[in-house]
Amino acid sequence: MSADDASLYAYIESLLEADAYREHPLYPALEQLYRSHCGQRKRLERLLSIADGYQQFTRDEMREVQQQYERQLRRERKLSRISDHYQELMRESNRELHAASTLDPLTGLANRRKIAEYLKQAACRAHHDAATFSVVMVDVDHFKSINDKYGHETGDRILIELAAIMRQALRTRDLCGRWGGEEFLLLLHDCSLAQARQLVDRLLARIREPRFTAGEEALALTVSAGIAEYRLDESYQNTVNRADLALFQAKRDGRDCYRVPV
Amino acid sequence: MHSDLKIAGTQSTPAVQSDWAAGRLTMQGDSYPENSYELFGQIIGWVQAFLEQGSAPLRLELALVYLNTSSVKAMMDIFDLLEEAHLAGRDVAVDWRYDPRNERIAELAEEFREDCTFAFLIAPTEVGA
Repeated sequence: MSADDASLYAYIESLLEADAYREHPLYPALEQLYRSHCGQRKRLERLLSIADGYQQFTRDEMREVQQQYERQLRRERKLSRISDHYQELMRESNRELHAASTLDPLTGLANRRKIAEYLKQAACRAHHDAATFSVVMVDVDHFKSINDKYGHETGDRILIELAAIMRQALRTRDLCGRWGGEEFLLLLHDCSLAQARQLVDRLLARIREPRFTAGEEALALTVSAGIAEYRLDESYQNTVNRADLALFQAKRDGRDCYRVPV
Repeated sequence: MHSDLKIAGTQSTPAVQSDWAAGRLTMQGDSYPENSYELFGQIIGWVQAFLEQGSAPLRLELALVYLNTSSVKAMMDIFDLLEEAHLAGRDVAVDWRYDPRNERIAELAEEFREDCTFAFLIAPTEVGA
């Protein structure tokens, strides 16, 4: 109620209370009008207070919904974040498993499974792009006697060192894998028999250099090799077999040398 | 008293054991069940029943490894129940053990712990355990 309203009401009330106006012809009309006005005013105030109540209620409800929504959103974010991390974990362990299933744990070279996969791909490429490749089987000479004489630990160390030497001798696109115990397989891409011979020649020379030791003792180590170039009319397994036969011939011819299929 | 859970673990579901008398629930293993509602429904039911009845402390011993999304959600629901009980004055605790060779699991457990104000221990599995 404004101050003007209040003074107007006070004025009217004082008029209605004054005895002097009781008999005035407008008195009953003014009194009735004033009573009716007071009733209306009360009703209006009630109405406003109820409306305000509803508004407050709606506002509270909205705030609660908002808070609920924000909580839910935070939960969803947390859920997806944690799930994503679990998925990442899964992918990582997949990668590790893949590595474990394709790598030789001792030397870190490709294992037989991975070698076979690469040979298959190389054979496929040879048919499509006329890209030739050569396979070299390498076997450590007298490895059993090294193991017997110096123990398996020394034998293992020598295999690791040999793996490093061979990897260094190859071009980056070539593959060196551990085929079996002391037997390695080299897959030389885009490499003819003539080119492979040169590479193997250098490799044998490098291994022959005095570099291996067993304790204080220098160890003379050599390897033998057999080389075969892939032929379009054969399976890659057959190329490996021919390289293997050539290796066998190198062994028979006194070791520390390579042979090619006759 | 609610009947106890004794669920054998499989390759894709965790092993779950509950002990109402001791106030303990344990879960171990991977969790990517085909029907996570069925598996976690009974676990959440057990936790709810335990928290509703009596005032004994509850302890969760977890050794969970991989969790898929619905399992993550179910675990969040369980931790929410614990948080609510904790705020109401109940003694609740989580003890999450992980293989020290896999620190990533600890990081994930920490992410779960973020909004929890009750005791939530994350520790490597003891050697020989």
